[in-house]
Amino acid sequence: MKTNACMQVLAKYRGDAVVVCALGMAANEWWAVTRSEDSFYMHGGMGFAASFALGLALSIPNAPVWVLNSDGSLCMNTGCLITEAGQSPANLKHFVVDNQCYQTVETMPMVNQDGADYTAMARGAGFKRAVAIDNLADLDAKMPEIVAAPGPYFIRLRVEAEPDYQRAPPANYEGPEMKYRFGRALEKKLGIQVFGPRGF
Amino acid sequence: MDVNDRIHAQLIKAGVRLAASLPDDWVNTLIRRISQDNQIRHVPVGREAETIAICAGAFFGGVRSVAIFGNTGLLTCTGEMATLCLRHAIPVFCIVSGRGSIDDHKVYQEVQGRRTIPLLQAYDYPYKIIDDEDEIEDIPNAYEWHRLQKRPFVLFLNKRLLGTKA
Repeated sequence: MKTNACMQVLAKYRGDAVVVCALGMAANEWWAVTRSEDSFYMHGGMGFAASFALGLALSIPNAPVWVLNSDGSLCMNTGCLITEAGQSPANLKHFVVDNQCYQTVETMPMVNQDGADYTAMARGAGFKRAVAIDNLADLDAKMPEIVAAPGPYFIRLRVEAEPDYQRAPPANYEGPEMKYRFGRALEKKLGIQVFGPRGF
Repeated sequence: MDVNDRIHAQLIKAGVRLAASLPDDWVNTLIRRISQDNQIRHVPVGREAETIAICAGAFFGGVRSVAIFGNTGLLTCTGEMATLCLRHAIPVFCIVSGRGSIDDHKVYQEVQGRRTIPLLQAYDYPYKIIDDEDEIEDIPNAYEWHRLQKRPFVLFLNKRLLGTKA
């Protein structure tokens, strides 16, 4: 499946979920599909979107949190699966957009391309729910159960590599503005206080 | 009330309700105390950089947090502190063992003792070294100050303060 089409299906089932995107094409496509400011589009910390999402999920236990991770980011910090399973956050769903390459750097092949089973790794780390999905029809059919089930839930999404460099551009704001737009969006959405009375 | 109890109490006073940690023998007593406190969600990790990202995520959930680990771990996660926290201006409060000091004769801590502070200065990460028990009461002030600095902050605990024999 194409990443953009995959994101459109996810968006259809998103509901109230707060979304954390690992840097890269999945984040760009999520922005292209949703234009949502209650999503955090990481611009660095490759490998640590899942850890960021875990900290967020533990802090807002009554709100659903999704992380749109990537295969490259997962490979950079596979230990995040163990930490996440250890905390067992019921509100966290962990999607891995797997195009088997480092798409934004000339589609260089992923480490052990075709040889790693991320779903099995998640189960081995302690996830009770982990599934591999390879096409849009299966994704559309499975999403109601994924949304309804308690987390942590690991979902590996196989997508096609699309070699055009930044076919979808990243969000049109970045850095500190990302912090304030996301934080303010969560304050409004969840009724929480992210920033203090003087704005920091 | 011993030193670790006092640090723990000041973290509570600062509003800390989540702690992500990886063991180091100088801070293990503090980690154990926190893990037994139902007021604080404890998140043990397998790599120090996870603590940085977990605390960054907690920031956006409106929860005050602390990352606790050893000096060696600090060297391993300065990149994530830069590309995540400096990039997005996210404050993260770290408590780190000040390994490699002149009274720490573990050979594998020697480089950390010499190069950690210059490294923090290169990144412009603010820090404070606590070597006097009276300074523990500065923790709530330090916490507020790090939020307005909008970047990682490191509070070092030294050997004399902790009274460790390791």
